[in-house]
Amino acid sequence: MPAVRTVSTVERLDKPSSYASSKQQNRNRDDDEGRRERTPEPEDKLKDASTLYVGNLSFYTTEEQIHELFSKCGEIKRLVMGLDRFQKTPCGFCFVEYYTHQDALDCMKYIGGTKLDERVIRTDLDEGFAEGRQYGRGKSGGQVRDEYRDQYDPGRGGWGRAYGEEYGDDHY
Amino acid sequence: MADVDLKPDGRDDRRGRGGRNNRKRRRDDEDDQADRRGSQRRRRADDEAPRRTYEEPPFAKLRRLLLNIASSTKLPQDEAIEIAKCFADNYDDEDLRNDFFDIFVQLIIEQPFKIPFVAAVAFYANDVKPDITVQALTRVADRTQKALDEGQWKEFKLLLRFFACLQGLFQEDGIFGLLGQLFDTVVDMQSASEQYDVVGIELIKIILLTLPYAIVSSGTRFHPQAQTLLESTGVVASKMVPMEGLIQVYDSESEEKPIAYHSIIGLLQTQLAKESESGWALLCIPRFDPNALRIVKEEEEESLPTVGPTHALPSFTISSPVNPGPTPLFPEAYFSLFAEQGIETVPKLTDIAASLIRDAIVDTVDQLDCNRDVVAKYLVDLDCYWSLDTFAKRGTQFDKFRDATGDKVLWKSEDMIVDAIFSQLFKLPAPEHKLVYYHALIMQCCKVAPAAIAPSLGRAIRILYNSLHAMDLELGYRFLDWFSHHLSNFEFRWRWNEWVEDLPLSNLTPKKAMIIAALDKEIRLSFAKRIRSTIPEEMHYLIPERLDEDNSPDFKYSNADTPFSEEGQILHAKIRKRATAEEVQETIDVIHKKAEQAGITDVFVPSTDALVTAICRIGVKSLSHVLSCIERNKERLLAIAGASEVARRQIVASVVDYWKDHPGVAVRIINILLNYTVLAPLTVVQWVFGDHMGAGEALTESWVYEMVSNTVGKVTTRIRQIASVRLQKGLPQEQVDLVEATLTKERDSARELFKYIEDAVRGFAEGSADSLLEKESSGELSTEDGQMIRAWGKRWHAVVLRQAQVEESVVGEQAVEARLRLLASQPDGGPEPMEVQNGNWKLEQNDGDDAML
Repeated sequence: MPAVRTVSTVERLDKPSSYASSKQQNRNRDDDEGRRERTPEPEDKLKDASTLYVGNLSFYTTEEQIHELFSKCGEIKRLVMGLDRFQKTPCGFCFVEYYTHQDALDCMKYIGGTKLDERVIRTDLDEGFAEGRQYGRGKSGGQVRDEYRDQYDPGRGGWGRAYGEEYGDDHY
Repeated sequence: MADVDLKPDGRDDRRGRGGRNNRKRRRDDEDDQADRRGSQRRRRADDEAPRRTYEEPPFAKLRRLLLNIASSTKLPQDEAIEIAKCFADNYDDEDLRNDFFDIFVQLIIEQPFKIPFVAAVAFYANDVKPDITVQALTRVADRTQKALDEGQWKEFKLLLRFFACLQGLFQEDGIFGLLGQLFDTVVDMQSASEQYDVVGIELIKIILLTLPYAIVSSGTRFHPQAQTLLESTGVVASKMVPMEGLIQVYDSESEEKPIAYHSIIGLLQTQLAKESESGWALLCIPRFDPNALRIVKEEEEESLPTVGPTHALPSFTISSPVNPGPTPLFPEAYFSLFAEQGIETVPKLTDIAASLIRDAIVDTVDQLDCNRDVVAKYLVDLDCYWSLDTFAKRGTQFDKFRDATGDKVLWKSEDMIVDAIFSQLFKLPAPEHKLVYYHALIMQCCKVAPAAIAPSLGRAIRILYNSLHAMDLELGYRFLDWFSHHLSNFEFRWRWNEWVEDLPLSNLTPKKAMIIAALDKEIRLSFAKRIRSTIPEEMHYLIPERLDEDNSPDFKYSNADTPFSEEGQILHAKIRKRATAEEVQETIDVIHKKAEQAGITDVFVPSTDALVTAICRIGVKSLSHVLSCIERNKERLLAIAGASEVARRQIVASVVDYWKDHPGVAVRIINILLNYTVLAPLTVVQWVFGDHMGAGEALTESWVYEMVSNTVGKVTTRIRQIASVRLQKGLPQEQVDLVEATLTKERDSARELFKYIEDAVRGFAEGSADSLLEKESSGELSTEDGQMIRAWGKRWHAVVLRQAQVEESVVGEQAVEARLRLLASQPDGGPEPMEVQNGNWKLEQNDGDDAML
């Protein structure tokens, strides 16, 4: 594998999503209205990240299926299924931890945006799993996106469950 | 991502002549779904012309023009001139100058298709503002020297190509001087040490791939030099090195195969020799008019047409010894599925275009692995980057291909793309990136141009399927893994009906084994019921209903007829309740006692079976469940593993038996047990070849191959990690001793492992294995099946031999010592340590501690 190369003529697929940076921006805005300079923190936190958040899974996708696909990028150290806070059943996301940062980057490049269980899955570099984060944060226990969804999705429990107070990505 | 809709109307298609107007850019199947991140994501500025009405800042404009050169309907020559002029106008801006040159150099390295066009910018700039050309040469030369010093051969090759494309601007011999110098280096190395064989091969490859571009850009002036150089490379290029026997895609003795073995440099040498006979036509390389600017200027009635000055080729230092580079090098085979299939959809093997286009595709693929979406786009646009009459119209159907191309020799770009990606998927010992990258890239190509790519892919699959018997076993496994993964992204659609006629074949035939294994792999990524719904009814028997998801495997101790059924159930209940060690031991003792009375030699066998089966049962719900159950019973399992070899093997046997209908799960659990060091690698292979092999039927089971190769992979990964620790610069002496000792120990056990497997499979390959002979003489196994097993044995044997030898060449004593000498010879900074693995190996690592949770 080539040494770290600065590719500049095309966009990379293994960059953290806008999620981390938008989170950071919000934080900056809250902390200190007047301060404009960017803090390097989110980049730093993810520069050795070996964990990925994986989203848009079907509720029926099993650990074995996830292992089968994700181990194509390297041995999996830990897999944490996202669960409905109340029912403790899978609610459509998970955290995959590899042994190395490179494996996680490769996963972003080669597996993110492909299908598992016939759904296009989303991967995002993650600063690391912490207890509690395996639970959905939607009002009814699942992910927030499933509260508001106005399209029928048989793989994710049918119609959106309810309409709650806030929009946004809820896996953190 | 599609730029079709962005073209200003009414502009002439640069390629549009006669009836083939717009053929380059019109694709009926190009729906704009290419941006996989969905519409909310901003589209990249690089990929589209600006819709803004205000004037674009100069740098943004230059950047856009350069990055998109040759990708639009404009004539690339005009684009190059426009860029040269625009850059000259803004040349005084130092920031702009630096930023532009950065992209300029980067484009050469990252997008090989565009090198001739990037070089054209520097060429025309020479007539506009020679300083641009001088600067470009200097900047590219700096990067070239760096690549040379670091042994980054791919970058070196691409940068050299840039100079080759400017040969017309150089004084004296130009690039030919450097190529000669490189050749002399190869000669010196060859006489110095065999270790440098592969570096020599790499350098010869670079020389031969640079040559054609230099000839095209300099007219007939250098034909004699090219001829001389070609004569001198012949000896090295035609020489076979020992490793080449091990990297062949197809068995050299088998007759029915799509392609015979050719080394990349051997092929290049013969292709170039042929090209020289025809006066170096080199038709596929794009041409530029050197006088384009000069003529324009005359028309504008300037006093004198300014012709830019000539330049000296920047000088380079080739260090001695040459740095072989961070990645271990191997000789390379040329692989093509379509080259010898009758209809010429890809260049013949004798045609230099085969090597030139292939090389550029492969480099594009490998250099831009960070974004498979753009790679797929560039590949589909392949015809933009080569001479006009190189390819047939995109998406020309195979069955109409001959009629469509008429008398002309035109190639099918889709076939060339598929061929090139498969050449990497099937590269031995390993391609540059993880195999899954090539999977994802093929998927992406299918998304970008489904109607064009999918049929080529279908033909590739058929060719591969029909030649499975001759294919290297490791590659057969890669094919299987790709095939099932690919289908999982396209609703599992495949014309299984074509293969229904193979169902009556013996399960020992490679075809039938492949069908069985492919269905298993598909089920692993999906579920049995779903996969059953995608195959014809005649095949349903291969996915029996007991595989459906709600039916977890039976717990054999529930059946009163199973020996030790009572104890098995008690043990299960106790472990489930997390009973104390003493309570569990109580039941185990009962089993031991009963077993002793029944005359069982090793009483640990039934007790281990009961324990491990219970653990599997309790962990049936998911891998996490079985993992935590193993975790809780780790001490007991370790104790059993220490008790006897038979007991150790029984652990493997029980796991596999419990999950016999879902071997994928068994393979994962064995992997977990290896991580916890409950199982040693040797135990796993001993079970495979000692207990599970039967008369060799198990050689055909892909999950067995998977289990063995996972196990071997663990061992080799670890050694490579240790070796890379050893190869760090400035390692303190006590660390050196410690690492050396570990390395020696691990090397020995790896050799023992390889030896064990090799002996076992050789027995089947030669037909001397007892179990095989017994079953044959008893008539239980037909002669035909017996022959089949021998063939499998032979294919296994080839894989084991290769893997063992590859490891020796990377981490064997000689290899490591050579690396150490190189490390010592390069004082400041020195080469990067060999990149053998990017794992964080710790000296005191205990596998169990950071095992998979």
